[in-house]
Amino acid sequence: MRETPPRTAARFLSWAVGASDEARTVLGDLNEDYVAVLRAEGLRSARRWYWKEAVALGVSALVGRPFGRSIARNASGEGTMLKDALSTNGFAQDVGYAVRAIRRDLGFFGFATLIIGLGVGASTAVFSVMSPLLLQPLPFEAPEQLVLIDNGDGTGGLSGITSRTSNVKDFRERARSFEGIAGYFAFFDQQSFNLGGDGVPERLVGVNVTDNLLDVLGVQPAVGRDFSPEEGLWGGAPAVMLTYGFWVRRFASDPTIVGRTLQLNEEPYTVVGVLPASFDFASIFTPTVSVDLLLPWPIADETDNYGNTTTMVARLAPGATIENAQAELESIVVALEEADPERWGLGARTSGLQERIARPFRSGMLLLAAAAGLVMLIVCVNLSNMLLARSPRRRREMAIRRTLGATRDRLVRQLLIESTAFSLMGAVVGLALARIATGFVSTSAGLEIPLLSSISVDATALLFTVAIALAAGLAVGIIPALQVSEGGEASALGGSTRGGSGSRGARRLREALVVAEVALACVILVFGGLVLRSFQQVMDVDIGFEPDDVVAWTLGSSRTFDTLPEINAFFSEIVTNVSAVPGVEAVGLVDAMPLGTNRTWGTRVADKEYSGNENESFFPHMVDHRYMMAMEIPLLEGRYFDASDTQDGPPVVIVNERAARAMFGGDAVGRSLENFGGARVVGVVGDVKHRSLELEGDNELYFPMGQVWQFQTVDMVVRSSLPPASIADAVGSAIRRVEAQMPTEDYRTLESVVERSVSPRRFTLRLLIAFAASALLLASLGIYGVLSYSVSEQIPEIGIRMALGESAEGIRRTVVTHTMLLAGIGVFIGTLGSFAGTRLISSLLYGVEPTDPLTFGTMIALLLIVALVSGLVPAIRASRTDSASALRSAA
Amino acid sequence: MAKIGEFELLVLLAILRQSAEPYANRVRDDLEANADRRVTRGALYRTLDRLAKKGLIEWEVEASGTPERGGHPMRRLSVTEGGRDAAAASREVLLRFFDGLGPVSTSS
Repeated sequence: MRETPPRTAARFLSWAVGASDEARTVLGDLNEDYVAVLRAEGLRSARRWYWKEAVALGVSALVGRPFGRSIARNASGEGTMLKDALSTNGFAQDVGYAVRAIRRDLGFFGFATLIIGLGVGASTAVFSVMSPLLLQPLPFEAPEQLVLIDNGDGTGGLSGITSRTSNVKDFRERARSFEGIAGYFAFFDQQSFNLGGDGVPERLVGVNVTDNLLDVLGVQPAVGRDFSPEEGLWGGAPAVMLTYGFWVRRFASDPTIVGRTLQLNEEPYTVVGVLPASFDFASIFTPTVSVDLLLPWPIADETDNYGNTTTMVARLAPGATIENAQAELESIVVALEEADPERWGLGARTSGLQERIARPFRSGMLLLAAAAGLVMLIVCVNLSNMLLARSPRRRREMAIRRTLGATRDRLVRQLLIESTAFSLMGAVVGLALARIATGFVSTSAGLEIPLLSSISVDATALLFTVAIALAAGLAVGIIPALQVSEGGEASALGGSTRGGSGSRGARRLREALVVAEVALACVILVFGGLVLRSFQQVMDVDIGFEPDDVVAWTLGSSRTFDTLPEINAFFSEIVTNVSAVPGVEAVGLVDAMPLGTNRTWGTRVADKEYSGNENESFFPHMVDHRYMMAMEIPLLEGRYFDASDTQDGPPVVIVNERAARAMFGGDAVGRSLENFGGARVVGVVGDVKHRSLELEGDNELYFPMGQVWQFQTVDMVVRSSLPPASIADAVGSAIRRVEAQMPTEDYRTLESVVERSVSPRRFTLRLLIAFAASALLLASLGIYGVLSYSVSEQIPEIGIRMALGESAEGIRRTVVTHTMLLAGIGVFIGTLGSFAGTRLISSLLYGVEPTDPLTFGTMIALLLIVALVSGLVPAIRASRTDSASALRSAA
Repeated sequence: MAKIGEFELLVLLAILRQSAEPYANRVRDDLEANADRRVTRGALYRTLDRLAKKGLIEWEVEASGTPERGGHPMRRLSVTEGGRDAAAASREVLLRFFDGLGPVSTSS
């Protein structure tokens, strides 16, 4: 076995610790341990181990005094003492030098600080946004033990992942892998609680939770107590807990609220406790909805009858893993199915709570992180290049210090301190930018991303910022520092800064960096372009209704209705009143609006063959006869509902185009369902995007509100070409004429509903565009800088060429060709990189291939045009060279 | 007399108690095995430098025949008179302070 440590790491370390005898003993010590690790653990881990140790040790040697130098008692004696003194042996002195160097050239370093601030700001902002969702533990006790148990894979919307309460009951009884299984009623937004009594009436959002939810999550109430088991029973004493935000807002954090009663829908509920500020139910489980109350959710036959309703949250027993919990649940499901073959809705998919919550956002966040990382890299490359361009000037200074006895290590160290100093200043700028950005993100309502409110630039982010700034400082500085401190004192002192063998290498290096910059920019641009195209595709989707000029109100009555005609008459009166408001063109009612919550039901077509348990699943909607006209959902066949579709008429149903095809084989009108009183299809309407803009449509069946009583709270859509604010008051008072206490303040436009459903996508897009724009700007700066420099370097040569008869146009062409060559190579590499990265991005795309030629083409063209423009200015300057003066300066 | 920190004292004692020739790796192994310390190399070398600067230890750099060292020399450490005095003084202080304290335990 080869027993020499990794060469590169050993070289780095040897360079970092220096060449003294003491320093070489350090290498020997490490070597010896390396061989021991190698013999014990094999080559791979030994190499990794050596790298880790060498880097740690090398960095430690670079930032402090060299090892073993404290006693100047070594062989070389006095000579070394003198040399050390002259070479400014000391960190503090190096910092002093760096500060003076920066002060001499404030313009340059200010610019460098700003650019680095941009990169650091982008990285820190993305880090902070990702942090609560992906990096920090959820704000619960031992959050790694918490799991979410889905019923299915999510086809069929919310009904596909929620479970019947009988599943909760049986899992609790049989599964040993869990310490506790809790849950909440996922369809909570279909109910509403009107707060009456003293003060302004208000429509509150309440979520029903099992009486052990807080216990399972490990959350202690801030004030009062949790629900008691008795309150968790069906028909138990009505009790509520307040969320912290609601408690502060409505009751001014009054602790005596506990034990008092609230009038909700004209029923008394006892306040038993207040949730702690750290537990924001909504931001974790239901982003964009704000929750005011928790109420008990009984695990009982009555709630089981509602079907799939409950999101199950559980805590693993000590020692249990997600895998064996899943295996146990699967065997329980099989046993339950065998015991009762008729039982439906059994299923369990266990995933870690945090992973499950973050899952839909993971790839988007990772893409942003990648983009921010690329911007940071471009920033580093750019600055590296700018430092290189300055290197001839610095060379003289360094050469003087070298001839006075400074070692190369010391010069490199000083230059690294300079670059680290301005990158740390950049970090300050970046932190400020990141704070602005995250402040903006965390307060933007309507962004459907969990844990948004906990986004901030915290201590971890600060640490991250400092770390990347330091890394950037070293990365930016190292190449120029090595270049500048390289030998050649004679030529540097001789004052020659123009072409020669030394500077050709330097130019190559700068050009390589520009190529790298263009390649990186190309990757970001292509990714940004793909996400932009996807967004356009999503926005171009035919949603099936006309959201412009429609405003929606949620109507939740505090009254209890005994019969279907009674509740219909109540809502009808509101619709009649609202229709009379000037400017209102159409009004309709629906139980659940598109892009809101959803549920699935099952049925069979009367004259169709089915085997076993098979049935057709669909999304049901209860609508009044005006709804489809108000929403402008097109009628394709048959008729809309009319006012006669009540309990007095025959049961009817309208199906969407997809259901007509999938359930009825394209011939729906006139046929009947087995249940719902044998409802007969009277019409076929266009498909509406119900779950999200991006998912295919589903089977949807519309039932008249006059016939099927499966709604409590309804949404009223109002079409009017007047601005929403100008009709809101009149509509509100029209509603309150029917029920004086009904809250009417929280209306929303359908445009905002559509907007909310695309908000995570828009969020990603905005950030990516910002990153892509920065990348493009930086790349063009890089190209411009390098070409201007190389043109100025070649002035004498250009002068000679012009004196020999080359035209200005020829000179321009040479420079531009050179630019395009560099850009071309960069674009080529960047295109390959983008292809390689498509795996990362494909899950975020919609309606566009990850290798979409149009996007690639457009972005490459954009990049090349920018490159051309950036190269043109130096080209023109070159072609204006006055050959006589150029020749004089060369002489 | 030079002031001496706890880790410095440990390093000093570790050098003193080696039966074989003391050099950095042996000291580090001893500290990790018997003092329940994770000792990073950088910290150890810095401590050695500090102890030398205070005049408590010294070293000879000598060529090493051990093939595992890859031809690099080794640094044989030794504790100076001053170092022994400092260790003895620290011991005195510690014993004085522990004396009469009884068993120091958190479980009582």
